[in-house]
Amino acid sequence: MSVPVAQDARTVNLTVNGEARTATVEPRLLLADLLREVLGLRGTHLGCEHGVCGACTILLDGEPVRSCLVLAVQADGRAVMTVEGLADDDALHPLQEAFREHHALQCGFCTPGFLLTALYLIEADPAIDERDERELREALSGNLCRCTGYQNIVDAVRDGAVRLRTTKERA
Amino acid sequence: MKPPQFAYLAPTTVDEVLGAMREAPDDTSILAGGQSLMPMLNMRMASPRVVVDLNGVAELAEIDDGGERVRLGAMVRQRTIETDPRIARRLPLLADATTHIAHVPIRTRGTVGGSLAHADPSAELPAAICALGGRLHLRGPDGDRVVAAHEFFLGPLTTAIEPGELLVGIEVEPPPAGSGWAFLEVARTHGAFALAGVAAVVHIGSDGTIDHMALAMCGVGGAPYMAAWLAEMAIGERPDEALFDHVAQRLHEEIAPYDDGHATAEYRRRVAVVLTQRALPAAAARSNGGGSS
Amino acid sequence: MRRREDPELLSGKGRYIGDLTRPGMLHAAFLRSPLPHARIVSIDAQQARSMPGVHAVLTADDLPPGLGAQPCTHLFQGQRETPFYALTGDRVRYAGEPVALVVAESPYLAEDARDAVVVEWDALPSVGDVEAAIADDAPLLYDDWPDNVVAVFEQEMGDVDRAFEEADVVVTERLRIQRHFACSLETRGVLAEWDPMLDELTLWTSSQILHIARDLLSDVLGMPEHRIRVRVPRMGGGFGAKFHFYPEEVAVALAARATARPVRWVEDRLESFLATVHAREQVIEATMAATEDGRITAVKADILGDLGAALHTVGYGPIWLTSVMITNVYEVPNARVRARAVATNKTPLGSYRGWGQPQANFIVERLVDSMARALDIDVNELRRRNFVPPDHFPYKSLHHVFDSGRYADCLDRALGMLAERNWPQRVEDMRAEGRHVGIGVAFYVENSALGPSRILNAGGVEQGGYDISRVRVEPGGEVTLYTGLCEMGQGVKNALAQVLADELGVHPDQIAVVDGDSHICPYTGYGTGASRGASVGGASVMKAAGIVREKIARIAAHMLEADTSDLEMEDGDIFVRGSRDRVVTMAEVGRAAYIRAIDLPEDEEPGLEAVAAFDPPQMAWPYGTNIAIVEVDVGTGKVEFLDYLYVHDIGTVINPMLVDGQIHGGVAQGIGTALYEELQYDLDGQPLFATFMEYVLPTAAEIPRIAIEHQVTPSPLIPGGMKGVGEAGVIGAPAAVVSAIEDALRAYDVRISATPVTPATLLDLLDEAATRSHGAAT
Repeated sequence: MSVPVAQDARTVNLTVNGEARTATVEPRLLLADLLREVLGLRGTHLGCEHGVCGACTILLDGEPVRSCLVLAVQADGRAVMTVEGLADDDALHPLQEAFREHHALQCGFCTPGFLLTALYLIEADPAIDERDERELREALSGNLCRCTGYQNIVDAVRDGAVRLRTTKERA
Repeated sequence: MKPPQFAYLAPTTVDEVLGAMREAPDDTSILAGGQSLMPMLNMRMASPRVVVDLNGVAELAEIDDGGERVRLGAMVRQRTIETDPRIARRLPLLADATTHIAHVPIRTRGTVGGSLAHADPSAELPAAICALGGRLHLRGPDGDRVVAAHEFFLGPLTTAIEPGELLVGIEVEPPPAGSGWAFLEVARTHGAFALAGVAAVVHIGSDGTIDHMALAMCGVGGAPYMAAWLAEMAIGERPDEALFDHVAQRLHEEIAPYDDGHATAEYRRRVAVVLTQRALPAAAARSNGGGSS
Repeated sequence: MRRREDPELLSGKGRYIGDLTRPGMLHAAFLRSPLPHARIVSIDAQQARSMPGVHAVLTADDLPPGLGAQPCTHLFQGQRETPFYALTGDRVRYAGEPVALVVAESPYLAEDARDAVVVEWDALPSVGDVEAAIADDAPLLYDDWPDNVVAVFEQEMGDVDRAFEEADVVVTERLRIQRHFACSLETRGVLAEWDPMLDELTLWTSSQILHIARDLLSDVLGMPEHRIRVRVPRMGGGFGAKFHFYPEEVAVALAARATARPVRWVEDRLESFLATVHAREQVIEATMAATEDGRITAVKADILGDLGAALHTVGYGPIWLTSVMITNVYEVPNARVRARAVATNKTPLGSYRGWGQPQANFIVERLVDSMARALDIDVNELRRRNFVPPDHFPYKSLHHVFDSGRYADCLDRALGMLAERNWPQRVEDMRAEGRHVGIGVAFYVENSALGPSRILNAGGVEQGGYDISRVRVEPGGEVTLYTGLCEMGQGVKNALAQVLADELGVHPDQIAVVDGDSHICPYTGYGTGASRGASVGGASVMKAAGIVREKIARIAAHMLEADTSDLEMEDGDIFVRGSRDRVVTMAEVGRAAYIRAIDLPEDEEPGLEAVAAFDPPQMAWPYGTNIAIVEVDVGTGKVEFLDYLYVHDIGTVINPMLVDGQIHGGVAQGIGTALYEELQYDLDGQPLFATFMEYVLPTAAEIPRIAIEHQVTPSPLIPGGMKGVGEAGVIGAPAAVVSAIEDALRAYDVRISATPVTPATLLDLLDEAATRSHGAAT
C-alpha cells in the first residue's frame, strides 16, 4: 500500500457559486483563505478562526460549515456557495431583501455567515417562520452579532422564509 | 491563526489509514470532522508532522441498523445522528444529546467518532454513549478490539485508543423497547460547552417498577461519570421522587468535578444533582410511550 | 428608510481592512509577551530572518531613533506618565505587549517565522488585581514611583459630611464591575504603504479616529501631517475600542518603510483579547444618604479603576467619567467622589461604548434599590421624589451642566408599557406557581454630543469637540457630503444624508457621502464616538447646508427673476412659492455655478459648496428607562428574559430604524456585561482567557426582544434638536438586569454587588443569603 506523502502544493478542483474553479494550494491552507485570498471572494469574513463566531460560514455541498475549520484540500470535488452566490446579477436574493427591510445588519461583518446559515435553515425547514421565537433563536445561535442585538435578524429570517416560499410558489 | 505546516494524507480505506498512521506514529493527528483539531491547528496548539484525513474513507461513514445493534461508523456526522430517522427511532437519546452539541454548522462537520476520540470532559456524546452502554470498535496493526464505553474514557482528552489504533465505529444496543430518555445540560450560552450534563435512560416494567435504568454525566469529571451502582439501587423500585432524590444524593457524593473560569466544582456538583432530579422523572415519564418525544 | 450601504454589504462586496490588497503586499505577525511582567534579556531573530518568504523582523532595536511614545490625548490633572512604544525592548508590563514584528509573504509564513523568534525573558513579580496593586508590598510597574497609583481625581459639592451626619438613612454598596471589552466582530487591522520617492505614508486602518490617527502618527513619526494619509475602509464595528491609536499602527507603518513594500496586519482573534484595549473594570465603595421621606441628600463614592499597564490614548478618562456621573438624574445637593486609576500588569484600559457611564449607573441605581428597601418605599416613587424636575434645567450636576430632561414622564411611560403588558399581575401569577420572576428598573442619563471644545480642552483633552462638514452641489445637481466621521455600522452616513436632504430639498439618493480619507474629508474634533455623530455632525451638516442653500436660492432667484424669500426647494426643484411652473432644477443651478457663469448674478462667485464647523455650546443629555423582566432557575442559576422594555428621550429622532438598532445592540452589550462577558486574570496578571470559549458573548438565544418607545423633546442647544444615541442602550441595562434578578429572588433576599452574574455566582449568592437568614433566625 502506498499513500503519497505530499508536503507540497496540490491541485484542488471545486465548484464555487456554480462555477468550476481550480487552485494549487498548500495542504494547510484554510478553505476560507482559498476563497478570500486565492479566489478573491472576500465576502466570506474571518471573525475568530476557531469556529465560534460563524462569520465565515459557507455552504459546502449545501450544508453550512465554518470555512475556517475546513482545509482547502478537503473541498476538492465539492460545491461551495458563498455570499457572492446569493444575489442574481443585480437583484438581491429574497433573504437579502428581508435583511435590508428589517435593518438586520449594521456593520455587515457577520451578515454573510448569517445569510448562509439562515438559507440552509429555511431550506431544511421551509416553515421555520412558524416556529416559536425560542426555536428560531436557538437555530441562529451559532452566529455571533455584536451590533444588532439579533432582534432584527430574527425578524428578517422569518420574513425571508415567507419571501422564499412566495418566490417558489410563483415559480 | 493559521495552521503550521504538516504533511497531509487523504487515504480512502481504513487499511490505508492504518498504513498512513505508520508514517509518523508519534506525530500524527487524525482529522475527522475537524471541529476540535482545526481550531487547535489554527491556534498552533497542535503541530503534528502528519495529518491523516478520514473524510475520504467512505466505509467509516455508514450507519447499519439492520441488526439488534445499531452500528455507527466513526465518520457519521453529528448532523446525521440528529436528523436520521433510524437514529430517532432506535436511539432517541443519542439524537437528543447531539442537538446540544454546539450549533448546526458545527454538527454538519463534527463526527460521532471524532467527539468520542477527542474525549472532552464536557462533551455530550461520550456521556450519551456511556448511558447507552455503547461499544467502541478499534482497529490497529494487531487487528480489531472492542472496548466498552465505560472503559474507553480514561480522563480529559484521554481514551483507551493505543498509538497506531483507529476508532472505526460504535455499536449500540438500543435500550429495551419503550424506554424513556432525557438529556439535560446547563451551559453559559446556547451551544456552549456544558457546565454539566446528564444522559438518562429509564424503562418501567409492566409491574410499574424500574427494570432498566442508566445514567451518565458530562462536565463533572475528567471522563464521563457512569453510575455503576445505579442498577442495584433502582431496579425493582418505583420511579418516584424519593428514589430519584436518593440517586441524586448518591451522585453528589460520588462525582469529582473540576473548577474552571465558568463554574466551580461545587457548582457542577450541585447542578449535577438538580439535572438528575429533573432528567430521571422526565425519562420515566417518556417510558412506554408516555409523553411525546 | 433603507440604508444606502446595505446592498453592498449583503452581497459580500463590503471591503473591510482585511479585504484590501496592494501590489506586492506583505503580511505581518506580532510576537507578544507571554508574561505579565518581565525584562527582555535578549531577542534572537536570526533563524526567523532566514526563513523562506520572510522579508523583515523588527524589534525595538530596529525602531528609528527619535520615535515618539504612543500618545495619550486625555491629560487630566496630576496623572503620571507611562510611556510605551510601538515595540517594547526592555520591559513588558502585560501579557500581549508587542515585542517583535515579522513581515513575510503570507500570514502563514509570518506566523511560522514569528514562532522561530527566540526571546529570553527575566520574569518580574507582577500584580493582576487592582486592590492588590495598591497594597504596600505590591510589585511596582514603574520603578521610580512610590506606588502603582497613576492618578487620583477628587471632586466635591455641598457639605457631604454634614449631610451624612443629618441623614435619616444611610446605605452602602461595595461593588465590583468586571474587565470586559468592546469585542467588535471584525478585529482591528492596518495596511501601510510608504512611497519611497515622495516619502509619503498611506495608512489604512480600522479606526474611529481618522484625523486624530493621522495627527498622532505625525507626532510619533516626526513627519508633517500632509505627508500622511489615513484612510478608513468599511469597519466591522468599533464600539470605542477603535477610538484608540495603537502601537500596531506605528509598527506596521515602519515595517512598510523598512521593506519598501505595502504591509498588512489583521489582528487575529487570540491577540485581539490581549492587544485591544480592555474596559470597565472597577471596584467601588459607594454610600447614599436620605431623609426618611425619601429625599436623597448625599452620595459619595470611592472608585478604584484598574487601568492596566499604561495610559492608552484616552488616559483614565472612563474612570474619571464614572466618578463625575455619580448622581445620575437625581437632584442630590451633596456629593463627593474620589477616583484612583491604578496600574496593574494587564492590557491597558480604554474606551468601550458608554465609557465610564455604565459603571456610574450601576453604582447609583444599586444604591437607589438599596435605599428604597431601607426606606420601605417603592423604588420608582423614590426616583420620582429625586429626579431633577423639568423646570430646574439647565441643571448643574456634580461636574456637568445638564441641558434638559422630562425624567418623570419617561419613567411613567415605561411603567405604562409594563402595565399595558400586564406584567405586575403576570409576575404575581407566576410567583404563585412557584416561579422566580422579577422586574428590574434602571434610569440612566447619557453624556452625548461631545463636546464643547473649550470645555474638553480646559479639562485636559488634547482634542477638539467640534465637527466640520463640507457640502458640495456638483455641476450635474447631485450633492456630495464630506465628513470626517467614520461609518462603523451605526449608519451615520445615512443619518447625515437624511439631514442634508431635508435641508436642500433633494432626495437622499442624490447625495453621496464621502468619509474615511484624511486627505479629502474635513477635520472632526473628537473622532467618531461619544454619541456625537448625529448631533454634532448633523448640526455641522445643517450649518454648511444652510450656506449652500442660500447660494442656491440667490442663483435660482436670479434665473427665475424672483425674490429669494419667495422660493421653495423640494424634490431637487427650486420654484416660486405657489407656482410650480416657475422652476429651475438643482442641475440647472449647478450648471450655472460651474459652467455657465453667465447665468449667475453679477456679484456671485462661481462654485457651489460650503464648509462649516459646529462646536456645541454644551453637551447634550439624553436619558431613558430600562425595564427587565427575568426568570431565574434557582436549581441551575440560569437567568432568562421574559421581556425587556425601553423608553428614552434622545431629542429629535432622525431615523427611528437606525435609532432602534442602536438601542437593540447597546442593550445586548449591557446584558453581556450583566451576565456573560469577562476577561479573567489570575492574581499575577496571567490571562485566564484565550478564545471565545472563555470570553462568552451572548447569542440570539440569550438576548430578548426589546420593546422601544421614543419620547421626543428636542435639545434646546443643538440645531435640529438631536442629542445622540450611540451609547444609550448599554448604560442602564446592567443595573436593570441585576435589579430584576434580585427581585426574582426576593424570597431569598439575595443581594448582588458584582457582575457578571453567572449561574455559578448566583447559586453562591443563594447560599450566602440562606446562611444570612439562617444566622438572623438563630
